[in-house]
Amino acid sequence: MEQSKENEFSLQLKASGYRLRTRMTQQVAFWTIRLLGFVVVGILVWIQGFIIVNGAGVLSWDFLTQAPTEGMTSGGIFPAIVGTLCLVVGSMVFAFPLGVMAGIYMNEYTKDHWTVRLIRVVTNNLSGIPSIVFGLFGMALFVNTLGFGDSIIAGSLTLGLLVLPIVIRTTEEALKAVPDSYRSGSVALGASKLQTIFRVILPSAFPNIITGLILAIGRVSGETAPILFTAVAYFLPKLPTSIFDQVMALPYHLYVIATSGTDIEASRPIAYGTALVLIIIVLAMNLLASFIRKRVSRKQR
Amino acid sequence: MKKIVFSLCLLAVSLGMANAQKIKGSDTVLPLSQKEAENYLQKHPDANVTVTGGGSGVGISALLEGTTDIAQSSRRIKFDERNKLKTAGKTVKEVIIAYDALAVVVHPSNPVKKLTREQLEGIFTGKIKNWKEVGGPDMKIVPYSRETSSGTYEFFKESVLKHRNYMSGIMSMPATGAIVQSVSQTPGAIGYIGLAYLAKEVQAVAVSYDQGATYVAPSIEHAKDQTYPIVRPLYYYYEAKSEAAVKPFIDYVLSDEGQATVSGLGYVTVK
Amino acid sequence: MNTDKQLKFRNTARRGAKWLERGVEGLFTASGWVSIVIVLLITIFLFKEGFGLFQSPTVEKGYVLCVHPSNPVERLNASQIKHIFDYETTSWSEVGGADLEIRPFRFEEIFDYYAEEEFGPDYEFLPDKLAEVVAGDEGILAFLPEQYLPADRSGIKIVEAGNITVTDFFGGREWLPTSTPAPQFGALPLILGTLWVSFFAILIALPLGMGVAIYMSELAGERMRKVLKPAIELLAGIPSVVYGFFGLVVIVPLVQRAFDLPVGETAFAGCLILAIMALPTIITVAEDAMRNTPLAMREASLSLGATQWQTIYRVVIPYASSGISAAIVLGIGRAVGETMAVLMVTGNAAVMPTSLFEPIRTIPATIAAELGEAPAGGAHYQSLFLLGCILFLITLVISVSAELISKKQRQAV
Repeated sequence: MEQSKENEFSLQLKASGYRLRTRMTQQVAFWTIRLLGFVVVGILVWIQGFIIVNGAGVLSWDFLTQAPTEGMTSGGIFPAIVGTLCLVVGSMVFAFPLGVMAGIYMNEYTKDHWTVRLIRVVTNNLSGIPSIVFGLFGMALFVNTLGFGDSIIAGSLTLGLLVLPIVIRTTEEALKAVPDSYRSGSVALGASKLQTIFRVILPSAFPNIITGLILAIGRVSGETAPILFTAVAYFLPKLPTSIFDQVMALPYHLYVIATSGTDIEASRPIAYGTALVLIIIVLAMNLLASFIRKRVSRKQR
Repeated sequence: MKKIVFSLCLLAVSLGMANAQKIKGSDTVLPLSQKEAENYLQKHPDANVTVTGGGSGVGISALLEGTTDIAQSSRRIKFDERNKLKTAGKTVKEVIIAYDALAVVVHPSNPVKKLTREQLEGIFTGKIKNWKEVGGPDMKIVPYSRETSSGTYEFFKESVLKHRNYMSGIMSMPATGAIVQSVSQTPGAIGYIGLAYLAKEVQAVAVSYDQGATYVAPSIEHAKDQTYPIVRPLYYYYEAKSEAAVKPFIDYVLSDEGQATVSGLGYVTVK
Repeated sequence: MNTDKQLKFRNTARRGAKWLERGVEGLFTASGWVSIVIVLLITIFLFKEGFGLFQSPTVEKGYVLCVHPSNPVERLNASQIKHIFDYETTSWSEVGGADLEIRPFRFEEIFDYYAEEEFGPDYEFLPDKLAEVVAGDEGILAFLPEQYLPADRSGIKIVEAGNITVTDFFGGREWLPTSTPAPQFGALPLILGTLWVSFFAILIALPLGMGVAIYMSELAGERMRKVLKPAIELLAGIPSVVYGFFGLVVIVPLVQRAFDLPVGETAFAGCLILAIMALPTIITVAEDAMRNTPLAMREASLSLGATQWQTIYRVVIPYASSGISAAIVLGIGRAVGETMAVLMVTGNAAVMPTSLFEPIRTIPATIAAELGEAPAGGAHYQSLFLLGCILFLITLVISVSAELISKKQRQAV
């Protein structure tokens, strides 16, 4: 009697020891993982903080609206901002309609057919192709074969190809989120397929499609490699007047003043300022996209 | 009829050129051209000068393709480049707008203050690997070079390495500014930069081209009186037939005011 | 009468609408295929240019190598030529000739031998002078432009160098694309350098990324997720040139000081930057995979008395393993193709990678740094396109294998 009780007690002790140990392991593991989460946030804060702290002093109205002077060591970045704007608009004019139409085709016309599966795989591959390869391709096709030279149009088309997968995918997702009852309802009322798409499906999917556009803009404004050989110039005092002009662009400008120039120390503040402007653009685009997403989901609810 | 159309076209082209001049080519000449263009535009607000880099080779092939009006180059046009232009029916004119001295730079803490050409050759071809072999501390030499096709790379190879190849796997920096940056951060580093890029973060060494009899430090004066050996002219190339269009700008660069900009930036003036 | 007209009108309108509808549908279909067209075009252009390299002569186009007629040597390969002109190979016996010193002669040196006037106004006497020089030296190896060879090829013998071969490119260890007379296109250091940096970047990013993915899918409360999710999106959104700039001014000096290295521009600095850049990809894909673990499986594990942690690493992670592999593969893909950041921090030295603390050169950085200066259509230009092809194929393999891996998971469900 006494014996078995003791046994039971030691068993209990053992069990609670085991429980304690697993509890401990769990605690250690969870804290490590939590720590890793903080590390990632820390990295982000570090990078952004570094650029914001160093760049904030440079940012001013003059910095944003003046051309660079004194061999890039003073003045502003206005031509680079305009150039990036041109490239963004140009690439979107090309990629947005094309991507949306491709998304409509894939979701509304040939759902789950082998062609769509093939297109989806290829689109995935396209989004995995490195941006420098797009640069090579853009140079071979638009600059040399089609003879556009280094120009806004060549750069825009190259960037457009780069972000096409993003637009296609967000469009597809957005269309998928539209309930099928909308489609059958519209068709039952005698609307043609095209009317259904334009009057019913697109309006309700539109806000989500727009987030794709915004994310694509964020991506395009920061890309350097594709425009290196297709669009950008080191220094242009005048703004572009036609789509066959070269432009300055923010990301390339940052690259140039970070690595060349006669006086690296003197141009550092400009580099920080340019980096800050780039980060602000990306930040703004992300915020805008998530704002729209939030509003849409609230509405749908 | 055809002739009239043709000459009209030509007129249109030349008019177009009159208010839009493109300068393209060497990154070494770039800061100079850019500053000159900046000043020129202040005096002539209706003119339009655009400056782009890419390298000397790029500028000259752009001249061949007709996509630039002036090719800026930090080396003389190559024999076969001239041939190509000739076959394309283009005669090019050459103007020396300034001289540039290449300074060999090391980290400021490095006690080595002078090197012979032979030592430099050994260092950049990888035969000399430690600073103690050239009278310095026991420290690994880290040579920095420019990208393979820049005019600076070619000129240094021609003048200092006597056409021998750089050691394979030499660090190559995308631009001269990056060499300054890296050399200033790296105690064992050595690199070559245009005199215009010389800053207090790096230290230039005196160079001897006569097996160590005389060492000359790089400076504008020494480049001008030709005692400093690693000096090269900087060129503008343009097509003879577009001379009228590019002349005002080139004349401005060669004027006293333009040449003042040249020395202001650390290059050596023509006169 | 009136109704007839109306009917007609309505018919036309209907027909018109139908045509319009068909037209728009055609447009949709056409745009649907656009990705396929683009990928095909990219493939065609890249490979057409790239494979042109193997039709390019080893010796610079338009030039030939000549020797004295009495010299028995018939062929030289690219690296032999390079070593001779670097004065590293000094005797003909080393390349299968007589025991005679080699005298490399570059075309421009002719101007040291004769005054400019002696060649005539249009260089018409140049060929004779060149022949004279070659004939005058038994050990000479002369690098001459083809158009100025003597018309009857008398007094000289041309050495065959052949075209650039596949083994030259994939097996060569020297990348000197502007070396004359024979550029060296050994891509092996670049290919290995790319893989080397990417591999170690993922090794650094993986524990971090997995930790965060577990945290977000299993532990984090709603509020923490609201902080982390946008943070990761932002990390993905920062332009690569900003990462490069940050690496250049912060990471490079940090690495140099922390490890007391002669140079800070090392593969390791590249790894750190690439690891940060690959994190968002790894986290998002891995988190998705873990979230897809059915609730029933978790509950079963918990009801058997397993702790939450045991459930995570005995049930959730094994279940999501193929998704996690896909995350790794996609992360590598992101790292392999990264250009600007790597260009700015790795030192770009084309050496065979042996250590993490030495400079290294990757394929994308090589293309970005050199394409602008390579004359269009030349061998250098073609070799950069061929590098682009390799990059394209690597990413293709990565996309396809990621696809296959995640498909496996879907089938397993």
